Amino acid sequence: MVWGPLSITFAPQLKALSPGLFESLRPLANMLVKASGYRSMGLKYDDLLMEEREDVQKAISRLTPQQAYNRAFRIRTAIQQSILHKPLPREHWVKPEEDVRYMTPLVREIEAENAERAFYDTAKVERK
Amino acid sequence: MFTRQIAQRSARAVAQRRTYASVSEASGVKVAGIDNGQPTTSISVVVKAGSRFESRPGVAHALKNFAFKNTKAGSALKTVRETELYGGVLSSALTREHLFLNAEFLRGDEDYFLSLMSSVLSSTKFTPHEFGEVVVPTIEADSLAALSSPSTMAFDIAHTLAFRRGLGNSLFASPHTELTAENVKEYASKAFAKSNVAVIGTGISTEALEKAVAKAFGGASTTGGSSSSGPATQYFGGEQRLPLDLHAAEGQPTMLIAFGSTDAAAAPALAVLKNVLGGESDLKWVPGTSPLALAAAKVPGGKAKAFVLPYSDASLFGVFVTAPTSEGVKAIAGDAVAAIKGLGQVNEEALKKAVAKTKFEVASVVENKEGLIALAGPQVLSGSVKSLEDAFGAIEKASTESLSKAAEALFKGKPTVVAVGDLSVLPYADELGL
Repeated sequence: MVWGPLSITFAPQLKALSPGLFESLRPLANMLVKASGYRSMGLKYDDLLMEEREDVQKAISRLTPQQAYNRAFRIRTAIQQSILHKPLPREHWVKPEEDVRYMTPLVREIEAENAERAFYDTAKVERK
Repeated sequence: MFTRQIAQRSARAVAQRRTYASVSEASGVKVAGIDNGQPTTSISVVVKAGSRFESRPGVAHALKNFAFKNTKAGSALKTVRETELYGGVLSSALTREHLFLNAEFLRGDEDYFLSLMSSVLSSTKFTPHEFGEVVVPTIEADSLAALSSPSTMAFDIAHTLAFRRGLGNSLFASPHTELTAENVKEYASKAFAKSNVAVIGTGISTEALEKAVAKAFGGASTTGGSSSSGPATQYFGGEQRLPLDLHAAEGQPTMLIAFGSTDAAAAPALAVLKNVLGGESDLKWVPGTSPLALAAAKVPGGKAKAFVLPYSDASLFGVFVTAPTSEGVKAIAGDAVAAIKGLGQVNEEALKKAVAKTKFEVASVVENKEGLIALAGPQVLSGSVKSLEDAFGAIEKASTESLSKAAEALFKGKPTVVAVGDLSVLPYADELGL
């Protein structure tokens, strides 16, 4: 899904088309992540998903209490660092292996639910 | 003249044996179909997973409300929309011993609905978000409805007083115990074992149902495991009184006086005793001649009804009294207790009437779909459906002696008394002479 709550990405298409090229671009992608600096503010990638969408809101509501607490904590930390105009000390940065997509699967699930609802709302029925 | 007619009728009834249902087995699941040529078919999956067997308070109720949600075979939305397209109705019901998953539909659609049932049993996902978003609100609504109905409350509390645990477990989840989707999943994985499940169909022959079940349940769907069992039921009895806010509640003041029996052999006698007490009018505009009906007729709007609730190893027998005012309930309850005490000596005429009425009740329950499934479902699970002749035979054996013996056995136990209403007016058990 190119247009959706998860922002524009051609990664799946590229991976399918040429796994070699996909792997060779990985260092570049990592550089981009580093340059964007969200990990240095204590955030994970999924904290940056567009919250103003209904499907993402629903995904947030489906987080486990622990996940929801941690998410709120990271966002508050990031806001504090933003006010101070400086990143966290290096030892508090989110490590690449910690930056997991904890919410993307939920958003995908909700997207699929919405697509299914749309399908059944417009389905043409034939009795066999 | 009249006696001759009765004799002829019973001779005819014996001559044409009622074909009813035979139980067979398909891929490890007990199956019975009853086809009377009706235009619709219904299929009920009977699971031995009532509140009696629950591992945590309320988990059976949660499981009932978790029926027909997301499964590996498709989402809840898909289930609902496709059922609508077939013109079917899905429902689930909970009793103290069994969980019923029902599907009603037009003849010929049984393959779809059975595969749906099979996926509900074998691959419901029990996702935490569905539990929070869909199941918990319906549980709360059920429990609230039960709380606001004095009769439902009275029966629920009476069971708790009478049997404490097991059969005494409440049918409704309470806000005081925490439940999670994980609890429900765990309970379901135990309850949905094949040995714990039976399928009963109406409007479908046993052979056709057997084939469809083998097809739908064949793919090693439900997990193995042993059938649910609990400790044998014991009768305790006791008294509980609840205030009823007449301004807030819709219900009327209510009293319930019950006795328990854990003797399975006494069940037919109790069914007859219930009809000796009566309480329901058989004719319009007249109260009838049963002792309870006469007692209730003295108070305008008052009702007194005898009930017997049979379970696999116990029965609860008693009288349910309700009236617009607590004073009315008090008056009827006094007469009802006198009527109950009179059960020790039943006269021949009352016995005859009660036996006939009991036979009619047993037969007419089998006539409608809901009654048939509720009655025969548990029997299918236990392996054989009792024929009407057997039931009639057991009822006809009742004599004045057997009734007085059954009544005496009942009165040996401590009575179960529940009062809901104005507690300054409603009598205590000892004030009623119990």
